[in-house]
Amino acid sequence: MKKNKGLLGSYLLLIPGVGFILLFIGSSIFITVAQSFGLFSITGHSSLTLENWKTILSMQESIDSLLFSLKMGVLSSIGTIVVAFPIALYFRKGGVGKGMLGSIIKIPLFIPALVAAFLIVNLLSFHGLINSLLLALRIIKEPLRMLNDRFGWGIVLIQIWKNLPFVLLIVMASIASIRDDTIDAAKNLGAGYWSILLRIYIPLAMPGILVSMILMFIKAFGDFPIFSVAGPVYPTSLSVRMHLMATLHQEWDKAAVIGVIIFVTTFIVIWLYSRLGELVEGDES
Amino acid sequence: MANLSLVNLTKNFDEVIAVDNLSLEVHEGEFVTLLGPSGCGKTTTLRTVAGFYYPDHGEVYFGKKLMNNVPPNKRDTAMCFQSYALFPHMSVADNITFGLKMKKVSSSEQKRRLHDVMSMLDLVGLDKRKPAQLSGGQQQRVALARAIVTEPQVLLFDEPLSNLDAKLRVQVRVEIREMQKRLGITTLYVTHDQDEALAISDRIVVMDQGQIIQLGDPYTIYRRPETKFVAGFIGLANIVKGEIIKREGHLYTVKTPVGTFVIDATDQLVADDVKEIEFSWRPEDMKISQEGDPNTLDGIIHQVVFMGDVTDLFVEVKGVKVRAQTDDIRKFQEHDRISFSIPHHAFSIFRR
Amino acid sequence: MTEVKQLKSDPTPLHLIIEKRKKRFYILLTLFFGLVQLLWVGVPIVMAVMWSLVDPANPWSFPDMFPPSISPHQWQYVFKYTNIARALKTSYAIAPIAVVLSFILSLPTAYVMGRKNIPGKKIFMLVVLLPIIMPGMVVALFLSRVFTSFGLSQSFFGLVLAHTLMGIPYMIRVLTTSFQAIPQDVIDAAENLGATTFVKIKDIFLPMIRPGLLAGMIFAFTASIEEFNLTFIIGTPTFETIPTILFSFMGYNFIRTNASVVALIMMTPNIIMLFIVERFLKSDYLAASLGKM
Repeated sequence: MKKNKGLLGSYLLLIPGVGFILLFIGSSIFITVAQSFGLFSITGHSSLTLENWKTILSMQESIDSLLFSLKMGVLSSIGTIVVAFPIALYFRKGGVGKGMLGSIIKIPLFIPALVAAFLIVNLLSFHGLINSLLLALRIIKEPLRMLNDRFGWGIVLIQIWKNLPFVLLIVMASIASIRDDTIDAAKNLGAGYWSILLRIYIPLAMPGILVSMILMFIKAFGDFPIFSVAGPVYPTSLSVRMHLMATLHQEWDKAAVIGVIIFVTTFIVIWLYSRLGELVEGDES
Repeated sequence: MANLSLVNLTKNFDEVIAVDNLSLEVHEGEFVTLLGPSGCGKTTTLRTVAGFYYPDHGEVYFGKKLMNNVPPNKRDTAMCFQSYALFPHMSVADNITFGLKMKKVSSSEQKRRLHDVMSMLDLVGLDKRKPAQLSGGQQQRVALARAIVTEPQVLLFDEPLSNLDAKLRVQVRVEIREMQKRLGITTLYVTHDQDEALAISDRIVVMDQGQIIQLGDPYTIYRRPETKFVAGFIGLANIVKGEIIKREGHLYTVKTPVGTFVIDATDQLVADDVKEIEFSWRPEDMKISQEGDPNTLDGIIHQVVFMGDVTDLFVEVKGVKVRAQTDDIRKFQEHDRISFSIPHHAFSIFRR
Repeated sequence: MTEVKQLKSDPTPLHLIIEKRKKRFYILLTLFFGLVQLLWVGVPIVMAVMWSLVDPANPWSFPDMFPPSISPHQWQYVFKYTNIARALKTSYAIAPIAVVLSFILSLPTAYVMGRKNIPGKKIFMLVVLLPIIMPGMVVALFLSRVFTSFGLSQSFFGLVLAHTLMGIPYMIRVLTTSFQAIPQDVIDAAENLGATTFVKIKDIFLPMIRPGLLAGMIFAFTASIEEFNLTFIIGTPTFETIPTILFSFMGYNFIRTNASVVALIMMTPNIIMLFIVERFLKSDYLAASLGKM
């Protein structure tokens, strides 16, 4: 009897926090899905229909946006990890000046995404520093278009700049859990630098690596503000397309379809990454 | 297999001399233990042999080959760590074959050796388990298996048993020794546990402050400690200073604060001009005396510690506290008078 | 400690040379790394500073390396002619309320997550992370529909709720770690000495989670100040916060100089908080609470 009471009490205590989140996020997800199928329409004419889905999925723009957003997600997550991992390894050795460097590198963590976007935009624009330098050194004849380019390099760079410290912290925590003894044992058994990196460091740091990659992907895939500032005119990211559809064209139903696509993709990616994690960690044959 | 030579080895850390001009020959197939208190330099020496430290002076030879400039992953050594240092993300089988993979041993050969070592160490069936799923004893054996499966020239042990409970420790140390004897690999073993050292070594190197204090087989180290430090570190000892008042060949008559003894100084003769010596004897050498026994000590029992098979007696003799250990089944009481006798050959005269 | 004994004739052994080279390499690497860091982080910021100080009378454009003259003109202009003052007020009004609210809502949940074993804990942990995982603009757009039907759209209260939503995940995670860290022994000792639930909360739990509380407050505060998507949809145009006003300066009417000023205003309190965090907290807290996902 007492145990059940305790359990019930615990569940009750969960309500303020978990309940709050479930209420808001839950209702948001519900409305998104519902509207995508034609219900709760703002026009007042609600009916269950697949029309919206058919329309969106058949539009080339939707496909292009999806591909573009996926590209941004993948490139951002891979790019940040590739830059962060060597830095994390470096810090493990307790390099000279770790404190000072550590603080400096953490600064973008505390700079809001939009500000980061602006700062980098400043650098990369036609009149920005990079172009001025390159022109002055006569390396190029005309300013490079590094922003609002069709490929999306500007966005990737901003994402990396802004999120590097965040990923770095997580990866560093993972690497810190690797004992020196383990590395010594590997050396003692004949492992050279590359072997240790591939067989010891990476597998053992994998939890941290995967978590950061997932988070980075989600941020970049579903991004709105950074794209608005630094992205190309076409194709647009999914979130921007969705926003335009809703606010500009007042086509909320169709926007809802895109919304569902976005968060379903997010969940699929999370699932995939965690499967990948189990694969790498579990198996060493 | 090869022998191991350390020549004038010195290693400093900032201002601390961890290993001080140490020279040692470990013969092929020999089991040598570095024994000493924390900070004596035994682990530093071991890690230098493994290649984790570069000596500041001196050389390390495997056989005739100078190893100083050879990095740790290229030396043919295998080390058993105190914390086992198993790879947490790899299975038992992968842990054990890691060294073989690094040596690029063929797949079939890896399988064969893995199978052999796992049955040798009673690890059959645990192939796919991860270290976290093993008991302490099992982890220790996997660490051992991982080391010996590579058939190294030199086997190194860094206090491998400290994390095991007492019973297991006694059991596993014997297994390690038998394994080593069977394989005949030159072995350097580090421990601070003197029982362990005495039980399994061919020779013991007693170390303190980076230097070798005494080197010898367990029997000699125990029965003939050459310094106060060794006498006190290994087993228990009663230590006194005395004056040689008469010499008759190898028998010295020595006057001490607790009484006058006749010491048999065979193999530990002292130069003619030396008058003052310091020497020791073990508590268990003190027998309850009877008529006609040599070297008697009379005293009053200060404290009785009954331990079942033996009894420790703390006795006051002429104002000096002496410790005795007897297996006599008498029930002793504090304040009793008691007399002990010490045989002539039980004394060990300190060289330094 | 004895002094180092010198051996008589000792040609520099190979391994010492290798060690010296290694040390030199590491020092160079560190310097290079430090330089890259400084530039990577410093240059964008310095550029923004310079742009904000450009004198409109002498516009700065290529090919000049530095602005021809500097003046605080932009700063005055931004404060006079834009809504930045209002945006500042709004941002710094919402944030503290959102932090307090998220603390109150998170506390009981963190207690359960940190100290009790209930079935479904893992799922609840995942739910807690939803506001961070869910794509921001999707939630923003469709939550705003929900808000509209409840009259919460374009309202201060609605904004506070939204910001609280974004702060709760951080607060819960950090507080959970704090609660976990309280040894059961301490609680048992208190009970043994007669403590009631009220006393336990007041004198044991609350004081012992204080460091975590500080960290959580900083994260929640930062999350609120930075919050864009929800604020943009629910608040604009009635309410403007610093991020939304910066966004407006970066849209079609991109005025680099105005944007520079706003960007710097947005950045500075955050950087100050960075140093507070570094000083008084272990940065392991952030890594630990986020890394344990």
